[in-house]
Amino acid sequence: MTYDTQTVPERLVAFLPNLRRFAISLCRSRELADDLVQMACERAILAADSFVPGSRFDAWMFRILRNLWIDHLRRQKTAGPQGDLEDARDVSIPSGEAASLARMDLLEVTAALQKLPAEQREVLVLVCVEEFSYRDAAEVLAIPIGTVMSRLARARKNLMELTGISFGERRSPDSKGGVL
Amino acid sequence: MSKKDFDDETLMAFADGELDETQSRALEEALASNEALCERLAVFLDSRQLVGDALKPLIDEPVPEALFASVRRMADEVRHQKPQDNVVSFRPKQQQQTMRRWLVPVAASLVAIVTGVVGFALGRINPSASNSGAEIAAVLDREVSGRDVTLSSPETVLHVVASFRDERGELCREYELKQPKSSTLTVACRQNGAWATRLALTSAKADGYVPASSQETIDAYLASIQAGEPLSPEEEREVLAPE
Repeated sequence: MTYDTQTVPERLVAFLPNLRRFAISLCRSRELADDLVQMACERAILAADSFVPGSRFDAWMFRILRNLWIDHLRRQKTAGPQGDLEDARDVSIPSGEAASLARMDLLEVTAALQKLPAEQREVLVLVCVEEFSYRDAAEVLAIPIGTVMSRLARARKNLMELTGISFGERRSPDSKGGVL
Repeated sequence: MSKKDFDDETLMAFADGELDETQSRALEEALASNEALCERLAVFLDSRQLVGDALKPLIDEPVPEALFASVRRMADEVRHQKPQDNVVSFRPKQQQQTMRRWLVPVAASLVAIVTGVVGFALGRINPSASNSGAEIAAVLDREVSGRDVTLSSPETVLHVVASFRDERGELCREYELKQPKSSTLTVACRQNGAWATRLALTSAKADGYVPASSQETIDAYLASIQAGEPLSPEEEREVLAPE
């Protein structure tokens, strides 16, 4: 990895778009996501010494951000019920997206994602969006790889059921998804 | 082989490219003749694609200016507070080229720090090193980079790291003087036929590598004098032996 020589703060700046995407997909609110990203960056800079050179920087950052998110959820739970899904409304399709999928389908997927339990959503995002291996995802989430797999399989079956998009239709070899 | 040999997790691992070769081959064979298995696999292929399509484009959204500025500010603060402490690792020499490329934009902010360090470091150059000045100069005139040359002073090895030209086009060489207990990293440039030391940093030895903090300083300095890319072996031979 050519980035190995960069310091944590320098890598953070370059990593902001990824970090923000991860935060938005976890917490389903841009406003909250930006706060989380900001806090995660602060924490990472303070804890820069604990980053092991040569290890995955993205995994390290995602773990920090996710831990903050869990903290937040815990506090929210003790603070009583909140308009969880209502907050999530502003996660819509990014504008100007050259859709390889029909817009309706994207909306359905986004809505379905929001209905999944947090633990299923996070593993789904790590593997299917951030393209982490099962092993790396297990490390970010601090769970065994077997749990990653069972949770991920469940998440995907749930998602397909919720979207009601019929199997097979969607697959065409040249519609490689994503912009990465 | 019956289809119940493949559970959901196996199918999913195949869809995600995480299944080992033997299992993958067995599954591929089964898929060829089993429609139901194909449909179960499709759930995992499709879900990956759908989620990716829905969320990956978020990365194209511009990071809000306020967030970007605030993280940038935090990063700058640490750099100014403790310029030597945010170094993350020892680093082999091969990566210097990359270093130089990315360092250029931040060089301006580092020049002030580096200048401070130079004054300090120059006063600390190992006196035994200066005795062998003529000998070092001869090596710098003659030897290509990457080779170890043993000097006549006991247990001193000179290793020329790289050659490059500075902003005025003068030939400069970065070299390391390795002694049993310390090593000195130096940048010298040819001026009027002689080698003038521009920067020298002595540090206690650590496993053959110069500590990253010294290297960082050297690299920042090189960026600040707009050092070009290291000369290739051919270019180097040409400038070292003009005839």
